[in-house]
Amino acid sequence: MHVGGEVDVRSAYCAASVASLTNILTPALFAGTAEWIARCQNWEGGIGGVPGMEAHGGYTFCGVAALVILKQEHLLNLRSLLHWVTGRQMRFEGGFQGRCNKLVDGCYSFWQAGLLPLLHRALHARGDPALSMAHWMFDQLALQEYILLCCQCPAGGLLDKPGKSRDFYHTCYCLSGLAIAQHFGSGELHNEVVLGIPENCLQATHPVYNIAPEKVARAVMHFLQYPVPSLDPA
Amino acid sequence: DEIGLIPCPEARYNRSPIVLVENKLGVESWCVKFLLPYVHNKLLLYRQRKQWLNKDELIDITCTLLLLNPDFTTAWNVRKELILSGTLNPLKDLHLGKLALTKFPKSPETWIHRRWVLQQLIQENSLPSLATKGNLGAAPVERIHRLVQEEMNVCSEAAGRYPSNYNAWSHRIWVLQHLAKLTVKVLLDELSSTKFWVSMHVSDHSGFHYRQFLLNSLIRRTVTDNNILVQNQKVNEQTPSLQKEEESAGTEAACAEEQSVDLPRRLDEEMELCSELIDNYPGHETLWCHSDESLNNSHHSTAASHMAQAMDVDGLNESSSKQGYTQETKRLKRAPVQDSLGPEMEYRFVDKVLSTCRDVDQARFATAYRKWLVTFLGQ
Repeated sequence: MHVGGEVDVRSAYCAASVASLTNILTPALFAGTAEWIARCQNWEGGIGGVPGMEAHGGYTFCGVAALVILKQEHLLNLRSLLHWVTGRQMRFEGGFQGRCNKLVDGCYSFWQAGLLPLLHRALHARGDPALSMAHWMFDQLALQEYILLCCQCPAGGLLDKPGKSRDFYHTCYCLSGLAIAQHFGSGELHNEVVLGIPENCLQATHPVYNIAPEKVARAVMHFLQYPVPSLDPA
Repeated sequence: DEIGLIPCPEARYNRSPIVLVENKLGVESWCVKFLLPYVHNKLLLYRQRKQWLNKDELIDITCTLLLLNPDFTTAWNVRKELILSGTLNPLKDLHLGKLALTKFPKSPETWIHRRWVLQQLIQENSLPSLATKGNLGAAPVERIHRLVQEEMNVCSEAAGRYPSNYNAWSHRIWVLQHLAKLTVKVLLDELSSTKFWVSMHVSDHSGFHYRQFLLNSLIRRTVTDNNILVQNQKVNEQTPSLQKEEESAGTEAACAEEQSVDLPRRLDEEMELCSELIDNYPGHETLWCHSDESLNNSHHSTAASHMAQAMDVDGLNESSSKQGYTQETKRLKRAPVQDSLGPEMEYRFVDKVLSTCRDVDQARFATAYRKWLVTFLGQ
């Protein structure tokens, strides 16, 4: 994560995210990374911080998104991953938990639910005929209910669960999760599913980078104008 | 051996806010808002080179800071510098961390720093000349063993202080991987020492995941050791030399010992533990997940142990044992795995739970498990 710091799946995602947006991504830079991330997937189907660790929502998102960027999602067992993540939506609360047998938390609205667009895309690329053309593989309305009814602070901002205090992190990821739950697909296949009044509808977010899709496009276009820097001294 | 905050919003008496009772350190809460910014500021000024602090002051200040807020990375990093310059004994940081964890059992930075310190200590260990620093008197192997045991204790305490403590259990796994090298002995010891703990914490998914890690490591170990056994046989026959004979004899002895691990029995015991806990504590998803995975392992390791037995015979008799091994493996992989008693017992267990349980969640988990059994065994 920083010089002398921890090594885990998050840094792989940060690096892949930055490198791909700024057009400095080279095979050499990420040699072996995809394989290492795949080793972080465990028997539960989710992904842990490093190989051997318990599956965890945050790390799973980072791992899968990084692999999507590196175009190596096929290294994962997508079926067990799908089984794991769908099992993390809480049947009573509607929100997601980070790990099996833990409590619901608003931020996992993004880390966990955000996996489903990524999985949908990966499975679609394999030509899976059973995929829906209108909905992600989680209960989009139930998640929206949890976020809107339980995760809002009356003074503004969003939070983990009722009783907790608001913070920027939860505000960001509750909103990101809400956007994911409201928007299926894009372009011609775009399907909006909005709970409550139409004004509740947020702008869509990019499922890999979690910024506006237009911003992703603009960043990529901008940096494509520059050559990929080489590691050799000039 | 423990720290804590004493809720005390106002200083009522003109006395020190530090309370020490029976080796437990307490700090009255009113003073924190004065103390923390003060020490924090002092450290920052030092870092910005605006105000010098000598080594003892640094040690004191960082210690105070970290007991109040152990996620303050800069303070840990200052201590890293002190350790590298030889001014600070790394064992002190293990103790400081242990103390911080009594109040902040999750603290990521504390665990991260701990791993750095342990890495320093292992490196020290591999250079015998430095070992006489007087820190640890005993022989290297003994020292590592003591370090490992201490880490197991620290992890266990922290795991007990916060449910499903991801960081504590991750650290425990890391210690086994990097300090204890995943020997069979340590894996078996850990299986037995955590058995009681998980029985007392049936919703602790991290705890059960740890047991899966131990069992998986044992499985991998058995397969690897059998590979070594076979390869050594081959080497022995082709180029006999004293050193190689000793090596392979050693490995053989180790393998013989380890083959007495009896994996299938271990896995059966794990299934028994699961069933018992599921019966006693209805409605815990963790237990069912653990059951799923243990059965899975049981199934696969039956195949692995058949392979092991076959290789045993081939290795001793055939001179072209390597060829024999690969042929044997292929044959076993093609053949269907024998039905052990496991799956049938599981059906009976699940049906029994379904017919007798009254807990809604338990019924749901049992139904899902049954469906999974059908799918899994139907393959």
